[in-house]
Amino acid sequence: MIGYLTQVVRALAFVFIALLLCSIIFEFAGFSAPLMFQSIAEGAFMSARAWQNSLRWGLPLFLTALGVVISFRCGFFNIGAQGQFYMGAIAATFVVDGLNGQPAFIVVPLTFAAGILGGAVWAAWPGILRVRSGTDEVITTLMGNFIAGLLLIYVTSGPLKDPSGTGQAASSRPVGEMYRISAGNSLSPTIIVICVLVGVAMWVLVNRTSFGVLSSLAGRNPIMIVWQGAKLSRLGLVGFVIGGGLAGLAGTIEVLGPIGRLSSGMLPTHGFTAILIALVANLSVMATAFVAVFFGGLAAAGLYLPVLAGLPAAAIDIINAAIALFITARTWPKRLAGLLRVRQETS
Amino acid sequence: MDDTLIAILRSGTPLIYVTLAGVLAQRAGIWHLGLEGLMIIGACAAVVGTVQSGSVLVGLGIGIVLCVLASALLWFVIEKLRANPIIAGLGLTGLGLGGTDLAVQAIYGSQASVNAPFGMPRLGDAFGQYGVLSILVLFMPLAVASVWVLTRRTRWGLQLAACGEHPFAARSVGVNPARMRLAALCLGGVFCAIGGAELSMGSLQIFAYGMTAGRGFMAFAAVIFGAAHPVGATGASLFFAIVGALGIRAQLLFGERVPHDLLLALPYIATVIGVWISGKLRGGAKAAATFGELRDY
Amino acid sequence: MTSSSAPALACRDITVNFGDVTALSDVSVGFTEGLIHAVVGQNGAGKTTFARVAAGIVRPDSGAVEIEGQNVPLGNVGRARAAGIELVHQSFALPPSFTVAEAMEYGAEGGRSIYARGAMERRWTRHLEMLGVQVGPRERVRDLPVETQQAVEIARALVTDARILILDEPTAVLSPAGIDNLFARLKVMQENGVTIILILHKIREVLAVADTVTVLRGGKLVEGPIATDATDAAQLSASIIGTNVAGDISETDREALVGAAEESDTVEPIAAETEDTLAILDIRNVTTRQDAEGPALDKVALRVGRGEIVGVAGVEGNGQRTLVRALSHLADIVSGSIELSGTDVTRTPLSNRRANGLRVIPFERNSEGLSLSSALWENWAARTLLLGGSLKLINPAQLKKTCVDTLSRWGVRFSSPNQPAGSLSGGNAQKLILAREIDDDATLIIAAQPTRGLDVGATAFVWRALREARARGCGILLISSDLDELFDISDRIVVMLSGRINGEFSRPFHLADIGTAMTGAGR
Repeated sequence: MIGYLTQVVRALAFVFIALLLCSIIFEFAGFSAPLMFQSIAEGAFMSARAWQNSLRWGLPLFLTALGVVISFRCGFFNIGAQGQFYMGAIAATFVVDGLNGQPAFIVVPLTFAAGILGGAVWAAWPGILRVRSGTDEVITTLMGNFIAGLLLIYVTSGPLKDPSGTGQAASSRPVGEMYRISAGNSLSPTIIVICVLVGVAMWVLVNRTSFGVLSSLAGRNPIMIVWQGAKLSRLGLVGFVIGGGLAGLAGTIEVLGPIGRLSSGMLPTHGFTAILIALVANLSVMATAFVAVFFGGLAAAGLYLPVLAGLPAAAIDIINAAIALFITARTWPKRLAGLLRVRQETS
Repeated sequence: MDDTLIAILRSGTPLIYVTLAGVLAQRAGIWHLGLEGLMIIGACAAVVGTVQSGSVLVGLGIGIVLCVLASALLWFVIEKLRANPIIAGLGLTGLGLGGTDLAVQAIYGSQASVNAPFGMPRLGDAFGQYGVLSILVLFMPLAVASVWVLTRRTRWGLQLAACGEHPFAARSVGVNPARMRLAALCLGGVFCAIGGAELSMGSLQIFAYGMTAGRGFMAFAAVIFGAAHPVGATGASLFFAIVGALGIRAQLLFGERVPHDLLLALPYIATVIGVWISGKLRGGAKAAATFGELRDY
Repeated sequence: MTSSSAPALACRDITVNFGDVTALSDVSVGFTEGLIHAVVGQNGAGKTTFARVAAGIVRPDSGAVEIEGQNVPLGNVGRARAAGIELVHQSFALPPSFTVAEAMEYGAEGGRSIYARGAMERRWTRHLEMLGVQVGPRERVRDLPVETQQAVEIARALVTDARILILDEPTAVLSPAGIDNLFARLKVMQENGVTIILILHKIREVLAVADTVTVLRGGKLVEGPIATDATDAAQLSASIIGTNVAGDISETDREALVGAAEESDTVEPIAAETEDTLAILDIRNVTTRQDAEGPALDKVALRVGRGEIVGVAGVEGNGQRTLVRALSHLADIVSGSIELSGTDVTRTPLSNRRANGLRVIPFERNSEGLSLSSALWENWAARTLLLGGSLKLINPAQLKKTCVDTLSRWGVRFSSPNQPAGSLSGGNAQKLILAREIDDDATLIIAAQPTRGLDVGATAFVWRALREARARGCGILLISSDLDELFDISDRIVVMLSGRINGEFSRPFHLADIGTAMTGAGR
């Protein structure tokens, strides 16, 4: 229990340091830091409406972050959640657009299947390259993000283009009403149920199956688990693909749910935020749920800031980035760090 | 042909400068994913500094100072706080992207891009058709050569490599790996600032949000592809630039038949293939499982 | 001897704490100039820490280091080197990708800041020739055999004008002949006026080479420096082991632990049957594909019977690792076959081999044996969990309870099954591995360097565990670079050289014969 508590305190402490750095940047750029934080709090959590928005942005983030949790636990540094999210959304849109007119009970499940598959496939190729030829997955997944982003621009201005589109960003035709799983840009019970079910399933997978223990060992020390006779490639790849599938699921939910269509450049920081959530939650499934809502709040505030407070939305990106900078810190500077280092060496 | 070569040099030069920064970091044992952020800081500072002061040199200078400071911050976080270099690097990239956005909005209100009245000094008529290139293109081979000498022909370079490969070996001859990493990162910061300035002021004279578009990450991939050797990594980034330029040429040739956005993806795909091949060449199936953590011994 | 009154190197009241562990406490010792000094003690006695304090790599919490009466700043390698101290590490500290010349250059002083490759290589070739090291300047450190690597490391230490050379366990990786060569080389250096401090743990070697001996135990100075003429093996052995060792250790074990015996002629009672019974392990002419991790096996044939401990001797890097990897399905077998209890497993994955009773205690406790950042119970449960399907539901509470029971039975000292494996001491970590690998279903146990880095008590514990497993009928393949260990507990010894079996010996073992086989003179 003490262990958990110190972890929470540690995470909070470094988030605090990150916010301090943000204040310096805000003040440096000529914005009042207290005003900025106050507006963010208003946009995220200070009203029932704000809470609803936070959940609306937080739940898809929760799914993608769970995917990151699973792949990180397996020892795959999956930076590609963004690409997997896009590919899920693209695949889902192709199905829902292509089957337009068919009964919903056929189309919706197929769309979900396609979305999950899309994300999983986009995770599978870096995974296979990694286990087969030792190709570093950090670079491949990162490049995968850019490729998927360009593919998204291509399909929304090409094959899936909405001919009547007038907005500045290209997008697909809106998803038919009968296929939507939420009305308008908001939450729905369906989405909540999906998230709860997936959350419980992943909790069981991580904490109550052999896979959970073995994949965590593989993630922390792949060499050791190989000497125990595990098939590392299979163990890790499964986790990696599950991770991609979850990101794809999040993409599907955005298409069928709140956003209701595929649009180019949608949620460009979704994947990065999901990685942050996973790290702040210290790769625990339970904690991911809470942290996701917090970052969902920040995302909601990002929309609130320019519209209602007249402040730049970049503030949210900066907060996220500053948290990323500090969240993996393992120690405090000076003496303590020096002590730990000497100890590692001699043991 | 000349057009293509000019296009390659234009897109390749910023990439190569940033790649050199990545080479220095990688040799010191740091997976530098903050290159993208440093590059955009350099690009933004060059344009904004030039607009505000009326001097390109001041713009470049501000960029160098900011990039060195940001590099030092990254060093503090990964060396002193023992944060994961990959995630911290991504954080720095985010700070660069968000910070430049915020800075532009703070200074110019909500506008998407900033135009500079003039760009980097050009090579001039003496170079004929190539006169339109900035002088930083001319300095680029010089920079590559100096980094090569520094890393491959000086004792300091050997000590730097020792810090990356076997920090304990470095320490047992009295070299302080932490200090060497700081030096490598800060020197890299200078190169990133120059690369960013070349990107925004070399031919375009404009700064737009997110204009680096993953070039920093591509530079990192070039470092891996080129096995952290200055010349190898430069070759790899030239290769990416060539692929990009050929994509644009193909666009001109085929017009609408090949989708524009997919051609834009060519350098990224080339990067994946490049990293895949270099992994294969180096024995494969043994990727670092340490998530790029700094080593102490 | 020397007329100078101040010792070449003096340490005063050195205390070093790593967290809550005291590695050295109040150690004061002075070494006379121009002699060969030995510092001995069991693993964990603080020898390495002592050497590192003197060389400036570890900064002590208190104390002082003096060279010829002059204070040297603590924890500063540069200043210590400038004062003339150089340290050769136990596991060599040279970047593996460097060429020999680069490995000399990176630690050198003076000369030009930008070098030309040719000139630099010529300079260091001369240096190596002067020291009598036969190696090309362009060879990569990682490609060198261990003995050459050590010679290069010593040459590296002498690139500056070192007057005090400390060598940390230099003999641990060498063959008996290699040890003789090293000692001859050190004597030459001594004649040139270099003061040499050898960290050792074998009394035999101390008496063979050193002028004085200093004994450390549990981070404290026990005695010394005393002239080696004024002491003997029995007295040193008593100082090294001390009186508070858990469990009783037989006289032969004692001798093996401190390396005092010349050869083993006591016949260990062998659990009778070896010839007529079915072999537990039968390796037939196995050849492996060459890979980056060491020499390939070349037609290796080896048989381990029920209730037999077969020792594998050899200088490190002669294929022992490949042998263990081949047995664990981690190296490509080109030809030949491996049989486990009569079943051909040549193409069988490790998980199935493990299901057939194969157990492996791998070379590297901290990377191959344990996941240091994972919990004890996860490390312990890995083997059994891998026997079932991945999606099998588990009950962590139940697993932890069984884990606690088992670990307590094995005498592992721990506070909670949730603590990370990295928080255990070396001996306890090895016991955790033993608890996992030596179970009732085990039939063949591969023990690779199972006692490396362990203190006397833990070493004796491991030996006891292996003997008990033998008594139950397990076959045991013991790979070790410590000949004393092999002589003490093996029933048979095979010697590996360049990926081949270069000799097989049964009791009584003679150091001279086995030493010859290790260096290639043949059977």
